[in-house]
Amino acid sequence: MFRPLLALLLAATTLSAAETAVLSLKTMTAQMKYDTPELLVQPGQPVQLTFENGDDLPHNLVFCQPGTDTAAMAMKQMENAEVALKRNWLPDDPRIWAHSKMLNPHEKETLTFTAPEKPGTYPYVCTFPGHALTMRGELKVMKAGEGLKDLHFALYLGNWKQLPDFSKLKPHREGKIDSNLIEVKLDDYKNEFGVVFTGKLNAPKKGPYRFFISSDDGSRLLIDGKEVVAYDGIHPAGDIKEKSIPLEQGEHEFRLEYFQGAANIQLYAAWKGNDFQITSLSKWLHPNWKGGTKKQKEFDPIPLAVTTEPVIYRNFIQGAGNRGIGVGYPGGINLAWSAESMNLALIWRGAFIDASKHWNSRGGGHQPPLGYDVLQPTGEVTPAFFVTDKPDAAWPTWDKTKRYSGFAWQGYSLDAKRSPTFRYTWHNAEIEESFAVEGNGNKPDGNGKLIRTIKVSGKLPPNAWYRLASGQFEAKDGSFLIKGVKPFTITAAGVQMAGANLVIPAKPGTMAITYQWIQ
Amino acid sequence: MKRLFLILALCAPIYAADPVEADFYKITTFETPKETALEVGSIDLLPDGKLIMGTRRGEIWIVSGAGSSDTSNVSYKLFASGLHEVLGIAYNPKDKNIYATTRYEITRLKDVDGDGRADVFDNFCDHWGVSGDYHEYAIGSHFDKAGDLWVTLCLTGSFNSNAEFRGWALRIKPDGKMVPTCSGIRSPGGLGFDADGETYYCDNQGPWHGSCTLQHLVPGSFQGHPGGNIWYDKAPNMGPRPIDPLPEAFSNGRNRKDKTPHVDPDRMVTERERIKQLLPPAVYLVHGKIGNSASAIICDLSAGKFGPFSKQLFVADQSHSNLSRVFLETVNGIKQGVVIPFRSGFASGLIGGRMDEEGRVFVGGSDRGWGARGGKPFCFEKCEWTGKTPFEVHEMRAKPDGFELTFTQPIDSTTASDVKSYSMREFTYAYREEYGGDEVSEIIPKITAAKVAEDGKSVRLTISPLTKGHIHELHLDGVKNTEGQTLLHKVGYYTLNEIPAK
Repeated sequence: MFRPLLALLLAATTLSAAETAVLSLKTMTAQMKYDTPELLVQPGQPVQLTFENGDDLPHNLVFCQPGTDTAAMAMKQMENAEVALKRNWLPDDPRIWAHSKMLNPHEKETLTFTAPEKPGTYPYVCTFPGHALTMRGELKVMKAGEGLKDLHFALYLGNWKQLPDFSKLKPHREGKIDSNLIEVKLDDYKNEFGVVFTGKLNAPKKGPYRFFISSDDGSRLLIDGKEVVAYDGIHPAGDIKEKSIPLEQGEHEFRLEYFQGAANIQLYAAWKGNDFQITSLSKWLHPNWKGGTKKQKEFDPIPLAVTTEPVIYRNFIQGAGNRGIGVGYPGGINLAWSAESMNLALIWRGAFIDASKHWNSRGGGHQPPLGYDVLQPTGEVTPAFFVTDKPDAAWPTWDKTKRYSGFAWQGYSLDAKRSPTFRYTWHNAEIEESFAVEGNGNKPDGNGKLIRTIKVSGKLPPNAWYRLASGQFEAKDGSFLIKGVKPFTITAAGVQMAGANLVIPAKPGTMAITYQWIQ
Repeated sequence: MKRLFLILALCAPIYAADPVEADFYKITTFETPKETALEVGSIDLLPDGKLIMGTRRGEIWIVSGAGSSDTSNVSYKLFASGLHEVLGIAYNPKDKNIYATTRYEITRLKDVDGDGRADVFDNFCDHWGVSGDYHEYAIGSHFDKAGDLWVTLCLTGSFNSNAEFRGWALRIKPDGKMVPTCSGIRSPGGLGFDADGETYYCDNQGPWHGSCTLQHLVPGSFQGHPGGNIWYDKAPNMGPRPIDPLPEAFSNGRNRKDKTPHVDPDRMVTERERIKQLLPPAVYLVHGKIGNSASAIICDLSAGKFGPFSKQLFVADQSHSNLSRVFLETVNGIKQGVVIPFRSGFASGLIGGRMDEEGRVFVGGSDRGWGARGGKPFCFEKCEWTGKTPFEVHEMRAKPDGFELTFTQPIDSTTASDVKSYSMREFTYAYREEYGGDEVSEIIPKITAAKVAEDGKSVRLTISPLTKGHIHELHLDGVKNTEGQTLLHKVGYYTLNEIPAK
């Protein structure tokens, strides 16, 4: 009589022990991917999963048994597309054990299910035709590992740039941590201290175990007195350092050393075994590993190499508007010209540009320069020519919904060295703009130069001005240094400071402007 | 693998009796330059048998020897690079220049010094807006009869037009002047001309589109998606802005999801009555069955070198990596017709395509952004007729009480005159703002007669009822040719915009 009741009680206890895993997963806009390639849950754990379709196409989320060839399963629907269409592209397949609806763009659905009891890797996939090859991931069902036992801390005071040898120092204070979770919780010290955590960690069997740490500032993990992994020095908790080591079955001495210089205090430690998932040993969870779920990374970079001749890249370049023309010159000097404002939009040195944002997926969004010392000479996507009787007044600013009136884009021609000359008209004037480079932008010798030549022919309106740069300037040896942008000087004949503008009265003829990296 | 194939072929002669697409149309996959991902976005013909191809990575390549039966003769030369996604390329025989349609401009490219690389990049036309949204593609045509180029501009996302003329079809005159020509574009995939020089484009399933479609670009027409209609004040040649579809129909508290079959106001056929500029799609490229992502439009002008489908259209699909075949006719002044599966099995998602004078279809594309069945990330391929004629429906024409079908081969009169050899289903899509949509308002008509013509080449089907505005899905499972073979493709989808009076 009592037995069934007892079993029921036990089951209830077990269930309540496993907290509901609250997870989220989203389809990425225009990438044919989920944002989460891996979800981690415990066997039999209740799961509440919010699935959001952030894309402009319909998508679903279908969980299958381990070993399912999900792409083949999705493809098989095409053998009877009519039936599949009626089923809203949900395959009629016994290997499917949980699924969402087919969500329209920007719809959301919360799924609640119980994770399978059997540990394993359960693939998930979007079964809409053509999506399964890339829109997929893995639900890993694994039990959690054991936590620390008998955890103690020792506080040391000191101002360090690296971890000290704590064994030679006297602790300022010591104590036990009842929660057995690593946590720096001091009311009286915010800066300049160190903490050593010691405890016991039980390896359930002989085998490899992987340890993870991250910290702000430095930390070092030792097992049985030997260093496993270190993240020393003054830094934010940016990376997670990890290393795998073999352990014998049984208890091991755990020691985590940490020091704080100033500002943020963060410390993360975790471990993982062959048959248990990543288990945090610290109260703080590193953002990249919260809940043990990995978020999708951006694309692998596709840097465009500039070798013997200039490389042109017309695309959405951040800071150069929507009609940007990037030019990478040999010698580490680069620019972006705008066929919207008919003006030089950006100058930078070092590497040219990374095309991965535009050459993966659907090609939207703006890509910043790949190099450094980026100068936006004038306001974002603003023209150089302007009619005004007050050149110190504000120049027009970019209205993304309109084109600048009076300007017409003509195109560009490549010279024998394949360096472009940009051509446009402004009212009744024809303008040609070309660039030459001298020195090497990559070398900090102050000889890297971009020489810009502007040829104006035809008729200019009265009171026409040409703006080279905007900002705060300091005249220096016949050149102008832009305040706050140290590496540049700008030199040109007839140039004058007018408030926040560096201008030349525009007239037909040739203007030459030199942008020079002074270090 | 080879041996396995041989064994199968030896011990299973029964399979040999079933013709497959590859028996009639051969696909050749070309090796492409190692230094790039040749994601073909557009293809045109150059004099002396060369091809010019624009890619999604902004390169333009000149290809020699692709027509040769020996693929080792193919060579590539980079003509230009650094352009912003070349989804239209056109060679102009008049000025011998190349015109590339990119995201924000048509660029005219010249090779002045004659070294085989472009050195002048003129802005031919840039009078439309772009905001940086991925969706804002610009698809360009080849030159039409009048020497104009056409451009279709995708909306900003699926619903809105945040930059000038997004959601429009434009014509660019030989002097570079831009003429706004049609509104109502959603997400175009390709532009092409029929044998008479009429212009068509493919649109993709989404808001206001239950399915991908082939649409006739009649100047002045509204093609169905109202998102871009805010620009009518910049297009005085287009006349007054059309009234918006749907909102009026759904006043009085009626929900768009409420279902009242046959009297639903959210039907293209009903809205045509209210919105005079609205032109229904010429052919629904039935979603999930014909394709998911319609792209290039290729007309067979080879006069028989590509097989028996002279003057018909071939529509490519990115997602399904296939070509489908379209026969069009004009009824009551409106284009309509049938789409029939043609050839599947291309290596990646198809985007650009062009047929040469010898009837060779060159296609290419990539799976980037939407995924494709082909499985390869990008491809450049050739599809040729093997010289064997497949048993296919050749043409399907609407009649006042049914359809007339012709075939590529003499038909067996016993099976072709048996109404049980056929089945038909009629359906349509809701014309509404929501993304995509089901096949709705299904009708199963009766096929009351199947009369074989005296010459044994055509069949007249009598159908009751025909439904104006519906897609008529015809299955011909039982029809055989005089050699006892069934059709290579046993289904066709006819979009019946108009029922002819005679």
